[in-house]
Amino acid sequence: MAIDQTSARAGRTLLVLGILAFVGLVISFALPKPAERLYPERIPVRFWHMWTAEWKAVVDDIADRFNKSQDKYEVIALSIPPSGGETKFVLAVAGGDPPDVMAQWNPVIPSWVDSGLLQPLDEMMPPAQWRQLHSDMYPIARKIGMYKDHLYGVTVGLDLWACYYRPDDLRAAGVPDDRLPPTLEELFALGARLDRFDDHKNLTHLGFLPEGYLHTTPLFGNGFYDWESGKLTIYTPDNLRALQTLADAYQRLGFDNVSRFQAGIDQSSFSAGWPFISGHYSICVDGQWRVEQLAQYAPNLQYKTAPLPAPTGGRPLASFAGGNFMIIPKGARCPAGAWEFVKFWSGIENPERAAELYTKGGWLPLMPAITNAPAYQAYLKKYPQFKTFVDMLPSENIQTTPPVPYTIYLTDRVSVCGDLAMRGLQTCEEALRGLEKEIAQEQARRKEFGYAD
Amino acid sequence: MKRHLVGYAFISPWLIGFAVFTAVPFVISIYLSFTRYNVVTEPVWVGAVNYRTLLAHDPLFWKAMGITLKYAAIAVPLGIFTGVALALLLNLEIRGIAIYRTIFYLPSIVPVVATSVVFLWILNPQIGLVNGILRSVDIIGPNWLGSEDWAFTSLVLMGLWGVGGSMIIYLAGLKDIPYTLYEAAMIDGANAWHRMRHITLPMLTPVIFFNLVMGVISAFQYFTQAYVIMDATSGPNDSTLFYALHLFNRAWRYLDMGYASAMAWILFVLVMTVTLTIFRSHRRWVHYGN
Repeated sequence: MAIDQTSARAGRTLLVLGILAFVGLVISFALPKPAERLYPERIPVRFWHMWTAEWKAVVDDIADRFNKSQDKYEVIALSIPPSGGETKFVLAVAGGDPPDVMAQWNPVIPSWVDSGLLQPLDEMMPPAQWRQLHSDMYPIARKIGMYKDHLYGVTVGLDLWACYYRPDDLRAAGVPDDRLPPTLEELFALGARLDRFDDHKNLTHLGFLPEGYLHTTPLFGNGFYDWESGKLTIYTPDNLRALQTLADAYQRLGFDNVSRFQAGIDQSSFSAGWPFISGHYSICVDGQWRVEQLAQYAPNLQYKTAPLPAPTGGRPLASFAGGNFMIIPKGARCPAGAWEFVKFWSGIENPERAAELYTKGGWLPLMPAITNAPAYQAYLKKYPQFKTFVDMLPSENIQTTPPVPYTIYLTDRVSVCGDLAMRGLQTCEEALRGLEKEIAQEQARRKEFGYAD
Repeated sequence: MKRHLVGYAFISPWLIGFAVFTAVPFVISIYLSFTRYNVVTEPVWVGAVNYRTLLAHDPLFWKAMGITLKYAAIAVPLGIFTGVALALLLNLEIRGIAIYRTIFYLPSIVPVVATSVVFLWILNPQIGLVNGILRSVDIIGPNWLGSEDWAFTSLVLMGLWGVGGSMIIYLAGLKDIPYTLYEAAMIDGANAWHRMRHITLPMLTPVIFFNLVMGVISAFQYFTQAYVIMDATSGPNDSTLFYALHLFNRAWRYLDMGYASAMAWILFVLVMTVTLTIFRSHRRWVHYGN
């Protein structure tokens, strides 16, 4: 009797499980499937990128335009999550099934090249074309894309940092002509006049505060890398001065005060929540992509842009830049198709056509020929604030992350070094000496492993 | 024999998965820990360089180790104490107790990443819930995640959010204690404290032992919350550079898989040593009621 009951219960359980499995199957069939290929007869070119939301639509449109521009290849764009993008790429290459081309924006080229992940792109074009491109590219595009005398990344959108400021706030502070002061020291003084606090001395409005340590060093000198000698430059008077300037700015306001203030506003907001739009900043340092966002989210906001003024004895038209660049991995099944897509988007062979693509994402161009194209000039006319960034591009004083194979480790530790000094946990001298020691230890470690550098 | 084969055939999916995804990588990682390996190219044998460098020339290794040990030393006992205390409360026969149990258990089944993101807001020094409550009683709350002093503490306190998972095991343990023991104690004149001290806690020690072992192992592997909350950084002045985070950075961000394998093996030896020590000690303090 008991056995019968147990069997009956087991039967009912199995029936329920079976029904659930069937329902799950039906639902899985009902879910949306990956899009069918539009051009199944063409050679597929698998393109990975990390753009999402409104940016993804722009990138999909570019892929679509490429597909319509020729009849040999079909670019299949796939947006992968930025947080795991690098890991996915590395594993895909290691597993022998990489994409044909990927858009990156993190400083991965040196370590990936030394790990044998990337193909040199200069070898995909005739020597004469490479010589021409090398000479045409903006200096910062060379710094970002080249490593050990080869081109591994073609920038399809440089990101450059400069000042955004509200003329109304400047006028309220007694600046008559809406222009930023000529030196960084004077800009700090102006910023201090614009700071506002509540009754408890909590910061409620920030006049001016520059970006992090890495972004500030180009104003004072070479930053962390001497491009002529090809050597890291950590403990230098310029870097020490840059760190001291930042530390002084934070100490004046109180690091904790700034930290709390910034925690209460959405620093990274890519929408109307950007603190400059919401009126929390009078002068801030940010990238060129904000121009289009301002037009979209705050079309009536009166603002201007300008390069960060150099400190006394510092470098004019200096800033930090990153870039969205295209890489082709080793093991790509269709490198030729990938290269065609890279050329299409970057404008290497047809800058006039590519100029329009750059304007779609509010990206800075690879070379002056794109800047001078009618479509780009029309864009600059539409967004005059964007011109500040474009005009800075020829400057040799724009720096990016040092091209060493341990770039990510270096930038991590530079960030900690700046943090220590700005919090006042160490003197600038101690923090920078500490950074130098850490990097020397890492270099020694790598040497022991037999790495070339 | 045939019966054995049938049994193995039934569990073969798990056996194959375990062999391919756990056992083989586990063994291979021993070899990798003696190599220079970047995941893509062939590993290059370097002998004991990884271990030597880790132990003698990597200050971040020691810092990460210290932070992780500190976390294990604080978070595990705190979790046990809170779990037991909650279980005792939720063992009371009061109206609606099932609802309370559900409420306290629910957070432990929320995915860790989702919990971490929520805590980013809860612990926001300006607009967060905690500081908002403190402000209402004229207390200026700390800069929880933005200050070196509080970032680590915040993560420890955050760990209590998931204490419902162990609480439910303690509760099962409490339910398993024979009521006759309490009756006998009450006849002998034992008050509530005596019953707790001499019956409840001793009879609960097998469950505490289980949770202690699991808690220590997971504390040494602590990663996700720190990674999400600190946005993949090591926190203010490296104050949340946990061992597993340092290992992850070395493996996937700096592409130093050989070095990371050596780190993993040092962690394994450490966890095994601590776990074995706990196991060796259990005869002295774990009571099985027989």
